[in-house]
Amino acid sequence: MSFLAVTGLCKTFRDKKNTVEAVKDLSFSVEEGEMVGLLGPNGAGKTTTIKCILGLVRPDSGQITVGGVDCRRYPNLALRDMAAVLEGARNTYWRLTAWENIAYFAGIHGLSEKKGKDYFEYLVDVLRLREKKNTEVRNLSSGFKQKVAVACALAKRTPLVFLDEPTLGLDVESSYELREALRKLQTEERRTIIVSSHDMHVVQDICQRAIIVSHGRIVADEAIPQLLSLFATRQYKIAVADGSGRRVGQSGTQEAVTSAFPQASFKQVGDALEVTVSLADPGDIYCLVEILRERGAVVDAITREEVDLEKAFLEIVRRENATCGA
Amino acid sequence: MWSVALKATWKQNFYMMRRYLFNTLSGFITLYIVFALLFHGTRAVGAGTMNLGDTLEGMFAGYVTWMLALMGCTDLAWNITNEAQSGTLEQLCLSPLGYKWVLVFNQSFTFFANFLVVGLITVSMSLTTGQAIHMDLVSVIPVVLAIYVQALGLGFVLAGLALIYKRIQAVFQIVQFALIGFFFVPFDAFPVARYLPLTEGRKLLQEVLMGGIRIWQTQWADLGPMLAATALYIVVGVACFAVAESKARSRGLLGQY
Repeated sequence: MSFLAVTGLCKTFRDKKNTVEAVKDLSFSVEEGEMVGLLGPNGAGKTTTIKCILGLVRPDSGQITVGGVDCRRYPNLALRDMAAVLEGARNTYWRLTAWENIAYFAGIHGLSEKKGKDYFEYLVDVLRLREKKNTEVRNLSSGFKQKVAVACALAKRTPLVFLDEPTLGLDVESSYELREALRKLQTEERRTIIVSSHDMHVVQDICQRAIIVSHGRIVADEAIPQLLSLFATRQYKIAVADGSGRRVGQSGTQEAVTSAFPQASFKQVGDALEVTVSLADPGDIYCLVEILRERGAVVDAITREEVDLEKAFLEIVRRENATCGA
Repeated sequence: MWSVALKATWKQNFYMMRRYLFNTLSGFITLYIVFALLFHGTRAVGAGTMNLGDTLEGMFAGYVTWMLALMGCTDLAWNITNEAQSGTLEQLCLSPLGYKWVLVFNQSFTFFANFLVVGLITVSMSLTTGQAIHMDLVSVIPVVLAIYVQALGLGFVLAGLALIYKRIQAVFQIVQFALIGFFFVPFDAFPVARYLPLTEGRKLLQEVLMGGIRIWQTQWADLGPMLAATALYIVVGVACFAVAESKARSRGLLGQY
């Protein structure tokens, strides 16, 4: 049985002027100890989904269970197993120190400072907050503020943790440190962590699986290596020169390629042409080369594009947008 | 879990009070200065011109009741507005105890802190006016608590509105002064007015604090309406808050400001 199971989740926000279907029949599950990335463009429904699970937003329909507990029926019981960073640094009291914030938020979750002290100290070390432990949060840099917010969520020692944009506004070093800490915690404590982020590098770096949400629906739910391989074999970049000395664009090459591969894109670099194309069947590369050859173009180089999660994400979302007519 | 959360909330409130010490002190001093101006103004113009209970005793008890009402009623709503503004409101809602209880724990600290503050200001006011007061805690605390809980009931209604509308500070300010209106209600002429918030409480406080009457010496005809009003306003307040909280969750307003 999955630790988190979401089935048929729907949420529509209505006011006098607008009706927004934020989440449409969304279903997914997460196993215990998994670190999952929840990705999607702005307004895709990621935060609404997280808030529905946490009970901060009441869904219209659907079932959510955490550790076997029905979140909609027993919200307070389910909250014993959940913690979240929702708006990063804004989740903490800026007039309290890092330590006071950690102790307070763990306290209202039922974990006393006395009982949790050793673990709080451990978190302070893992997140490299030791020197700033007794500094008021308002005097910390945004990176440290973010880490304090993460520490407050982790200090509750809940088996399920949501991190909504945990690296937002962090510099490269702070982002790296936070990712290191999360990896370490996940490995050592087998916590189930769901990371919602716009930063694909973060998700690619620390998550085992990505769920991509667009227009309130799940459009991809794959292990990250699989998601990457799905696109890695298909994206090619071909540098083309014209054997007759004319500009490649003048020889009708673009039109010929577009008629066979409508999604191909072109970039003129001097007299040369750079063709980027996503091929459904890797064998199509021969067909493309043939079209180019027939137009008198000389293929200088063929490179398979290194696809990272960001490219895969963009491709999936573009396709979804095209399907939805957005 | 409950005692841990209560302890953590009291600690947090204490730290916050210490960090905002200047703010806290200036609040107390302002309350004292307002009373001093009111007192000297009343004396200068002539007793009875300002209808704050007709007598100095009435004004004294009225002012103490008003301070308690201010703290009980608007503190709660200000608290929610501030939490929403600073972004911590949703975190408090993630407590497995439920947000209502986090609020109650917060208010329990605020009550004790405010009780001490109002006590100090009352003693200062007594020294300024020469008005003798009877600090019989066994009699004073239940009446003060009843006034505070009635105000808290109103505060829960305001807090519920704050959860949904957030930017309603102007309403809080109006309510602060509208509360004074309850002291002017001539409930001898309109017996049902005894059940309005604060009215009977103010009268009993005057009897206990100034008249030196013990709580068990008061008549049930006075005590009964006060207790009934206390129960009524806190129940109605909490119910309104629960409805507002439910609406806020449904509309996804908890994280917005």
